Amino acid sequence: MTIQNHPARRTRRTALWLAVTPLALTLAACSPAGQTASTGPVEKQGGTLTYLDAEASRSTQLQGAGTWQDSAYVENVTDRLIWKDPETGELAPYIAESWEVSEDGLTYEFTIRPGVTYSDGTPLDAASVQRNLQWQAEGDEAKGIQANNQFPAVESVTAEGDTVTVVLEHPYAEFLDVLSGWSASLVADATIEASLEEQQQITGLIGSGPFVVESETYGEEIVFAQREGYDWAPEGVGHEGEAYLDKVVVRAVTDDTVRIGTFRSGQADAIRYIQPSDETQLAEQGAQIISAQGLGATNQWVLKQQIPALQDVRVRQAIQNGIDRERIVEDLYTENWDVAQSIVTQDAFGFKDQSEKLQYDPDHANALLDEAGYTERDAEGYRLKDGQQLHLVTVIDVYDSTARPLYQLVQAQLKELGINLELRDADYSQVSAAYAAEDVAATRSGWPYPAPWATLRTSWDPEGTNGFALPSGDPALEELFEAQATETDAAAREEILGELQDHVIDEAYTVPLIKDSQIFAVQPTVHDFGFSAEARPLFYGAWTEEK
Amino acid sequence: MAGRAGHALLVVALVYLLTYWVLFALPGDPVRNRLENPQNPVPPEQAQVIIEYYNLDQSAVEQFFITLGRLFQGDLGYSLGTGRAVGELFAQGIGSTLLLALVAFGIAVLIAALVAVFAVFSRSAAVRAVLTVYPSLALSTPSFLVGLFLLQVFSYQLGWISALDTDGPAGVILPALTLGIAVSPSVTQVLIQGLGEANDQPFVKVLKAKGLSRSRIIGRHLLRNGSIPALTLLALTIADLIAGSVIVESVFNRAGLGLVTEQAVRSQDSPVVLAVVLFVAALYSVVNLIADLIYPLIDPRIVITESRVAQHPARGRRLRVRKGPS
Repeated sequence: MTIQNHPARRTRRTALWLAVTPLALTLAACSPAGQTASTGPVEKQGGTLTYLDAEASRSTQLQGAGTWQDSAYVENVTDRLIWKDPETGELAPYIAESWEVSEDGLTYEFTIRPGVTYSDGTPLDAASVQRNLQWQAEGDEAKGIQANNQFPAVESVTAEGDTVTVVLEHPYAEFLDVLSGWSASLVADATIEASLEEQQQITGLIGSGPFVVESETYGEEIVFAQREGYDWAPEGVGHEGEAYLDKVVVRAVTDDTVRIGTFRSGQADAIRYIQPSDETQLAEQGAQIISAQGLGATNQWVLKQQIPALQDVRVRQAIQNGIDRERIVEDLYTENWDVAQSIVTQDAFGFKDQSEKLQYDPDHANALLDEAGYTERDAEGYRLKDGQQLHLVTVIDVYDSTARPLYQLVQAQLKELGINLELRDADYSQVSAAYAAEDVAATRSGWPYPAPWATLRTSWDPEGTNGFALPSGDPALEELFEAQATETDAAAREEILGELQDHVIDEAYTVPLIKDSQIFAVQPTVHDFGFSAEARPLFYGAWTEEK
Repeated sequence: MAGRAGHALLVVALVYLLTYWVLFALPGDPVRNRLENPQNPVPPEQAQVIIEYYNLDQSAVEQFFITLGRLFQGDLGYSLGTGRAVGELFAQGIGSTLLLALVAFGIAVLIAALVAVFAVFSRSAAVRAVLTVYPSLALSTPSFLVGLFLLQVFSYQLGWISALDTDGPAGVILPALTLGIAVSPSVTQVLIQGLGEANDQPFVKVLKAKGLSRSRIIGRHLLRNGSIPALTLLALTIADLIAGSVIVESVFNRAGLGLVTEQAVRSQDSPVVLAVVLFVAALYSVVNLIADLIYPLIDPRIVITESRVAQHPARGRRLRVRKGPS
C-alpha cells in the first residue's frame, strides 16, 4: 500500500458550494488550520477521534461481501492470524506466532500466540482458531451464511495444544494472504453462533482487536472504545499495548458538502471520501490530505466479449491504446492519484509492469481499427463495418463519485477514434442487473484486497463467473490461474504471474485505468493515522493533541 | 364513524398490496446484489443456500403469504441489507422523525399564518407584494439547499449548533426549520387565497359597519372562514412532511424514518420499504380522519354526512354546508 501526504498547494479550482454561498468566503478565517508547534513530549494517551465516513454501515457479516466502510470497522475490532505489512506487502506474525507450510503446499501449521482473549473474555486459542477457519471454509448453511469465497478447498482443520493444522485439497499459494485479509478476521464463539441478522450488525461482532464496539445507532453513529488490556498488536504497526485513543466515534455523513463543512469547521477530526476538486482547498486550509492506495487489483475496465465487436482482439487493443490515461489523471484527479501499470498494484506479489503496452497511441489504435475492417465513417464520424456502427454500451460505476467525469472523458477519447461509447446510468438497487445486461460491453472492476490473484480468478475464470464473457473460454488463462495457485516455489510463481499479466494485457481482455485511491482529510492535531495493507484506516496507533 | 374507519383500513390494505407487487416486479434486491456483486461474486451453489434462507426461491404468491402471515403476527421481518429487525429500525427512527415533523409542522403553520395575514391585510402594498411571492420562492428552493445554508451559517460560521448533534433541542431546530420551510408554500398559498376571498365577502362590510376592530375581524371571523381550505391541505401536508424528512434527515444526519427509507429504497430493501409504506398509509388515513372531525369545530355550519360516504367511497369525504348566517 502507498500513502501520500501532500501539504498545502495553490488553488486550482474553487469548489462549487463555496461559490453558491457568499458567506462561505469568510470561511477560511474560521478554518481549523492551526499551527502545530512540536515542543517537548506530547501526551498521546486519551481523547476521542470523530471520523466521518461517506456511507452508513450496512453489514459486517464476515464472509458476505462487506462494503468498504464495514471492512474498515471490522479491521479495528478484530485481529487476524497473519499481518500483512502495508509498506512492503510482507507477511508477518500476528495471532499466529509462526507457521510452517509443507513442501507440497498442502499442510499449514500455525502456532497460536498465548494469552489472547476476545472482548467477551473468551480465549482466542487454537480451538477458537480451528473453529473460525472451519466456519470460514464451509460457511453455515442452516443460517444462510456463505463460505469465504477466497478460501481454498479445505480437507481438514485440527487443533492440538497451541497448534492449528490445516490440510488443503490442492495447493493454494495465496492462502496466507487470504488469512491476513479482513474477511478472515477471528471472532468469538458468540459471533459464530449468532444468527445471520445479528452478525450483520457491528454490535454482534466480538473480536480481539484494539477497539470494541460500545454502541451503534443505525445510520447515525458507531462508538468504538479502547479495548482495555490489548497487548498483542503485530510488530509491524510500530506501537504496542492499548490503543492511544479512548474512543473513536464514526458517523455516516452521506452528503459530501456537509461532510466537508463539518470537518472544515473543526467539528470532525477525519473524513473519508473527498472529491479531487476539494483536496487542494482542504490542504490549503491546513488539513493533512492522505491518499491511501491499497494493495490488490487496480481499477480497470473489463471488456465483455458477448459483444461481437469485442471478440476481435484488434478492437480491444485499439481501446487499450486509445484511452489516454495520463490525461485522465491530469484533468480529473490530483497528484494523489496514479494510472494503473498492470491489473494489480506494484506492491502485489508477482506484479509485472505493463505500462509500455498501455501507452496512449492513437495512430496505432486507428490502424488497428482500420485493420479490423472499421474503415468507413458515418455522418457523425463513428466507424462503420458492414454498415454497423462501432457502438459500445457501458454502465457508469455507481460505487465511485468520480466515475461520471471519468467515463465522460473516456467517451470523448473513444469518439476521437470513431468509437461510439454510450453511457448508461444505474442506481444502487439495480446495479447488478444493469452490469449483467447482455448489451453491456464494459464494466469497471478491481479494488484492494490482500489476495488479488484469488479475487481476479474468482471473477475471470471462464469456468466460473467468466467476467470477460469469453464465448469459448480460454484454456491458457485457466491454466495460468491454476498454475500460479498451486505453484509452491515463489520465483516460479512470480514467473507464471508475469505470464498471466502479459497474456491478459496482450489479449486486451481488460483496460487497467487507475489505481484505487482512498482520500482522507485529517486535522493537523491528529497524528499517526494509520492504514492496513488494504488501505483501511487503522485507529490503533493514532493519537490526538486534543483531549 | 365505523364506515369511515373501514374505508381507511381498505386504503391501507390496497396500498400495501400494490406496493408489494410493484417491489416484486422490480429487478434487484440487496441479497441478489450481494450475491452478484461484480467485485465479489458468490459461486452458484453458495448463493443457492442464501437465496433459500431468504425464501427468494419461492414464487411471488408464496412469498407474499409468508410476509403477510408474519405481518399478522406483528412481525415486520428483517432488513435484507442490514439484518436489522424492521420493528427495531422503526422504534429507533419514529421518535426522531415525529419530533422533527411535529416541530416542522408547527413552523410551517406559523410561517403560513404570518405570511398570509400580512400578505392579505398589510397596509403596505410593498409588503403585500413581497409576501405574496413567498410560496413560489419557497417552493422553488430545494430543501437540501436551505438545509446546507442553515448549516453553513449557524453551525460552520457562527458555531452555535453542532452539525453532528442530533439529540438535544438545538439539534432539532435547523432540520425542523428546513422541513417547515419545505412544506409551507402550498398551505401559505391556499391560506392567502382563502383569506383574500373571505375578505371580499359582504359580511366583512357588515362587521366593519358594526364597528368591530380590524384585528378582531381578522382573528375571529376571517381566519376561521378562510382557513378551511388550508386546513384540508394541512392534512395533506403530512405526506410532504414524511417525504421531506428523507432529504432533511440525510442532510442533517438524523437517523429517523426518512433516512431509513432513503437507505431502503436505494437498495430496494423490500421488507423495510413495505413497512414504511404501511406506516405512511396508516398515518395518512388517520390524519384525514381527524381533519374531517375537526371541520365542524372550526365551522359549525359543516356537518359530515355518513350515508354519502358509503355511496361514494371513492370521494371519501362529503361536506355539506348549511345555508344561513354565521
